[in-house]
Amino acid sequence: MSHPAADSRFLLRRLHSLLGLLPIGIFLTFHLWENSQSRFGAGHYNGEVVAFLRGMNYLPVLEIVVIALPLLFHAGYGLVVATQMRAELTRYRFARNWLYWLQRVSGIGILIFLLLHVGMTRIEGLWRVSVREDLFGHMQHLLSQSWMFGLYLTGLLLSVFHLANGLSTMGIVWGLTTSARAQRRFGFVCAGFGLLLATIGVHGLIGFLP
Amino acid sequence: MPANRMSIRFKIRRQDAPGSPSYWQEFAIPYAPDHNVISALMVVQNNPVTTDGQRVAPVVWDRNCMEEVCGSCAMLINGVPRPSCSALIDSLTQPIVLEPLPKFPVVRDLLVDRSRIDEGLRRVRAWIEIDGAWDTHEGAPRISPIEWSANYLYSRCMSCGCCLSACPQFGPHSAFIGPAALAQVRLMNAHPTGRYDQAERLHAIMGDGGISDCGNAQNCVRVCPKAIPLTTAIGELGRQTTVQAVKDLFGG
Amino acid sequence: MKTTPTAIVIGGGLAGLWATLRIADAGFPVQLFSLFEVKRSHSVCAQGGINAVLDTKGQRDSIHQHIVDTLKGGEYLANQPPVKSMCEAAPGLIHTFERMGVTFSRTSEGLLDQRLFGGVKNKRTCFAGASSGQQLLYGVDQQVRRLESLGQVVKFEWWEFLSLLKDADGVCRGILAMDLKSLEIRAFPADVVVIATGGFGQIYAPKTTTSSHCTGAAASRCYQQGAWFANAEFFQFHPTAMIGRDKNRLMSEAARGEGGRIWTPRDPRDARAPNAIPEAERFYFLEEFFPAYGNTVSRDEASRAIWHVTREMGLGIQGTDRVYLDLTHLDRAFVSGRLGAILDIYRKFAGTDPLAAPMEIFPAAHYPMGGLWVDFERDADGGMRPDSPRNQATNLPGLYACGECDYAYHGANRLGANSLLSASFSGRVAGESVVSYLKGLDHRRTPLDQAGVAFEIARQQRLNQDLMRSNGPENPYQLHQALGALMTTRVGVVRVNSELATALDELRELERRAASVALGDSSAWTNQTLVFARQLQDMIRLAMVVAKSALERDECRGAHHKPAFKIPLPEGKFAGDPEFEDYRARWRANNDRWLKTTIAEFSAEGPRIHDEEIDLSIYPPTEPRDYR
Repeated sequence: MSHPAADSRFLLRRLHSLLGLLPIGIFLTFHLWENSQSRFGAGHYNGEVVAFLRGMNYLPVLEIVVIALPLLFHAGYGLVVATQMRAELTRYRFARNWLYWLQRVSGIGILIFLLLHVGMTRIEGLWRVSVREDLFGHMQHLLSQSWMFGLYLTGLLLSVFHLANGLSTMGIVWGLTTSARAQRRFGFVCAGFGLLLATIGVHGLIGFLP
Repeated sequence: MPANRMSIRFKIRRQDAPGSPSYWQEFAIPYAPDHNVISALMVVQNNPVTTDGQRVAPVVWDRNCMEEVCGSCAMLINGVPRPSCSALIDSLTQPIVLEPLPKFPVVRDLLVDRSRIDEGLRRVRAWIEIDGAWDTHEGAPRISPIEWSANYLYSRCMSCGCCLSACPQFGPHSAFIGPAALAQVRLMNAHPTGRYDQAERLHAIMGDGGISDCGNAQNCVRVCPKAIPLTTAIGELGRQTTVQAVKDLFGG
Repeated sequence: MKTTPTAIVIGGGLAGLWATLRIADAGFPVQLFSLFEVKRSHSVCAQGGINAVLDTKGQRDSIHQHIVDTLKGGEYLANQPPVKSMCEAAPGLIHTFERMGVTFSRTSEGLLDQRLFGGVKNKRTCFAGASSGQQLLYGVDQQVRRLESLGQVVKFEWWEFLSLLKDADGVCRGILAMDLKSLEIRAFPADVVVIATGGFGQIYAPKTTTSSHCTGAAASRCYQQGAWFANAEFFQFHPTAMIGRDKNRLMSEAARGEGGRIWTPRDPRDARAPNAIPEAERFYFLEEFFPAYGNTVSRDEASRAIWHVTREMGLGIQGTDRVYLDLTHLDRAFVSGRLGAILDIYRKFAGTDPLAAPMEIFPAAHYPMGGLWVDFERDADGGMRPDSPRNQATNLPGLYACGECDYAYHGANRLGANSLLSASFSGRVAGESVVSYLKGLDHRRTPLDQAGVAFEIARQQRLNQDLMRSNGPENPYQLHQALGALMTTRVGVVRVNSELATALDELRELERRAASVALGDSSAWTNQTLVFARQLQDMIRLAMVVAKSALERDECRGAHHKPAFKIPLPEGKFAGDPEFEDYRARWRANNDRWLKTTIAEFSAEGPRIHDEEIDLSIYPPTEPRDYR
C-alpha cells in the first residue's frame, strides 16, 4: 500500500522541537556563557566579547538564519501549540502536569521578554551609537533599575526552565527515553543542566551591576 | 472518615439531555461499610429522593461487569476520573461528588458518549491484519515471556476513557486521539505479524491529532485504573516515528 | 434483481463477534447490535482460560479425553456430536486467536503456556494472565473493527433488540430494535438473525457473578416469540463468590486449592471478629462433611454444603448468608506468590486484606448451562457436519443462537474453562451456518409485509407509552431485588418441589406486579428505567422457565440438585455386591427416565415443557460415576 511521506504537521512539530535545541538551545547556552564574562568589567566585555561577535564573518546572515528565523518559527508554532492546552492544575497536582503548563506559559513570557530584550539591545543599537559602542555601559544602566533587573532575571529563568524542561520532553518525543525510570532520570539530568545554566546566567546579570 | 458513619451522602451533577444545563442534586443513603459507588447508586435508584425530600428521576449512569474489566462505569469521583465499581465508599470523603467523565459529550446525567475512543482505535488501525478468522493450521510466531509481559500490560486497556478525560490535550477542542489509542499502536506494532503493518499505523499517528499533539503532561498514566504504562508507549512510539520519519524523508 | 442477503447479529460478546467475523468474511454484510460498546460485554469477566488440547506438557493429553471430560462433567446431558466437534476445533481456535494478537501467556520457549484447571487431570487450559476472557474478546473485537473499517460490518451500539420480525411463513426476516438514547423504535429487515446475548444470571441478583446486562431479556423475547428454551433448570453456582451489594465477585477455586479453609462460627450469634474466635468454636463444615476431600471438594458439593449450613442449619455468620474462606493460617509469602491476582481483587473490592482477616463468601449464580435450543446435523465421523445450515439453528427458521445463550455444549454442568471455548466455537459455527443458510435462500421469496412491520412498531411503541404512563405502586428496581431473592431461595443451589411450585406462583405474582410499575422518570431521552422495566418483565418470564423446568425434573443431575430424588451410592459396596447392583439398576432406570433434554415452549399460561432424546452416539453412559 502506498502511503504519503510523513504528514507535514508531524514534521513541523518535530522541526519546532528540534529548533528549540538546535540552534536556539545551543545559542542560549552560548549567550549566557558569553555574558557571564561581564564580571571581567567593561573593558574586557566591550573590547573582547562584543568586538569578537561583531567581527564575525557573515554576521547579519548568521543572526537572521541561525537565530531570528528559528526563534520566530519556534515562537509562532509554540503559540499554536499553547492554544491546544486545557490544563487543570488544581485537579491533577502532578509535577509533570505543572511542568506541562509552565512550559507553555513560560514560552509566552519568553516571547514578550525577547521582544523587549532584543529591542533594547540589538535593535536600539542600530541607530544609537552609544548602545553599540558601550554595550556594557548600556546594560549596566538598564540593570541598575531594580524593575529592569527583575524583568531580566525573570526572562532569564523562564528561558532556562523552558530549555531544560523542553530538553527533558524532547527525550520522550524523539524516543530517547521510554520507560518511566529513564524519563525520570533524564528529567533530573535536565534539571541539573538547567540549574547550572541559570547560575551562569545570574552570574552574568550580576556582573553588569556597578 | 468516621465523621459520618450514619449515612453516605452524594452530590451528583445531573443533566437531562445533551446541551441542556447541568444542575446539582444531593442524596443520602444509610451507611454500610461494604458499599462502593455503584452499589450506593443502586440504593439511590431504588428510592430516588433528594436530601430536600424531592422525588426525582433515577440517576442515569453506565455500568456492566462491576469488576473493573469492562470499562463502562468510569466517572469523575471527587474530581478524579476512575471506575465507580472499585471506588469504595469508606475510602472517599463525603459528600461524594459525582460528575460525568469530562471531555466526552454528556448523554444524560453521568452517562457520556465515548464513541471517540472507538473512532481512535479505527483510525490507528489497532488490529492485526489476518487473512481471515479461519484456521491456517499454525499459530503466530513465538513471543518471549519478557516481551509477553510488556505487551500484556497494554492489552488490558478497557477503553474506560479515564486517561483521555485527564489529558489536557484531549477534548472537544482538539483532534488528539489520546493515549489509549496510542498505546494500542505500541501493542500491535510489537506483535510478530502486527509488525508487518507498523508503517501504516505509524503514519496514522503521524497525522493530524496524532502523537505530535501529546504534551507530555503525563496525567494519563497517573489516573489509569489498570496502571498501563501509557507514557512508556508514547516514548516508544516517539522512537518509532522518529525512525519512520527518517525512512520517509531519506528512503530506506 | 439479485441483492446480497444481509445478516443481523445481536450481542457483541465473544460468540456474537465470532459469528459476525465469519459472516462478514464470507462477504455478507452484517449489522451488529449491542446494548453498549461491544468490548464491554460480559465475556471480559472470564478469568480462568480456554481449554484446548495442545498436548505440549508431556502428559499425552488427547482430544478424546477432552470430549470425555466435557461429557462426563455435564453428566451426559449434552448432545455428543457438537461436543466432539468443539473439542476437535479447539486447538485451531486457539491458533486463530493467537494470530489475532491475543496475549496468551507464554512458556520460557515462547510457546503457548497451558495450565491445570477445574478438576481435569491434564494441563489443557490456555490463559492470558488473569484476564483471559477480556483478551479473547479484544482479539475478535479488533477484527470486527477491521471489517467495520472495510464497510462489511455496521455496529449499532446502544441499541436494544425488542422483537423478531417474521414473515407469513414464520421465517425470521429481521428485528425491531430501540435506540437506548432517543428511544426510537426502528425495524431492521435482514435475511437472517443470530442471537448471542449471553446468560441470565441477573435473575438471581445480587447473588450472581454476572454483569448487570446479563438479564436474559433478549433470549426471553425470542422464547416468547416461539423459540424453544432448553435445560433451563441447570444453573451453575460458584461456591466461593465474595459478597457484594451490587454483585458477588468470583473468588477463584484456587483459594481452596492452595489450602484455604471454609468455616463459620458454631454459634450464629457470635459477633466477635473472626480472628478472635478460637478454633474449638469454629465449624469447619467441609472438613467434617467430606473427610476425604475436605475443603477441596467439588464446586457443586461445596455450594450445597454452604447452602445447607447457612440456609438449613441457620449457621451463617451472624445468621446471614455468608461463611468464611480463610487463608490467614497460611504462610503469607506462599499465598501471595500463588494467589496474588485474586488477593488483589479481594483487596480492591472488599477493602480488607484476606491475609489479615478471612474473606466472606457465599455461592453465587455463575453460568446457565441451559439456553435457546439449537439444532445440529451429524456427519459420518460422528461430529457436526461442517457448514450445515442446521447447526446452531433454533426451531424458528432464520434465527440462530450461539454462546452462553444457547444450551448445547455443557449438559448438566460446565467444565471450567470450557465456556470461552463454547462461546468462540458456537459463534464461529453459527457464522458458518448462517453463510450456508444465506447461500441457499430463494431470492424470489416474498418480501416482508410492511403493514405487519408497522403494526409491530406501533405495538412496541404502545408498550413504551403504557409503561411511561403507568402510575402503579411498584418500583422495577425493587421488583428485581424481589426476583433475585425469590430465585436464590427457592430455585437455587438445592431444589425442593414444594418450593419450586411456590416459586412459580410467586413469579406469576411478580409478573403481574411488574405490569403496574411507576417509572418515576417521564423523560423520553435515555430513560434507563423504562428500558429496565421492559427487561424485568422478560426476566420474570425466563425465571418461570427455570422454575418450571426445575420442577419437572425429579432427579439429581449436575447442577440440578433435588435431594428427595437422590440415588445414594451404597457405602462400602462395590461392583458385584447385590446392593451395588441394585444401585446400578436404579441409576440406569433413572437415566432411561431423565436423560433427556428439557424443552420449554412459551404459552400465555406459562412455559409448556416437553423433552427430547439426546444423541449419545460417542460416549454413552454405561457406568455410574464413582470417585471412590
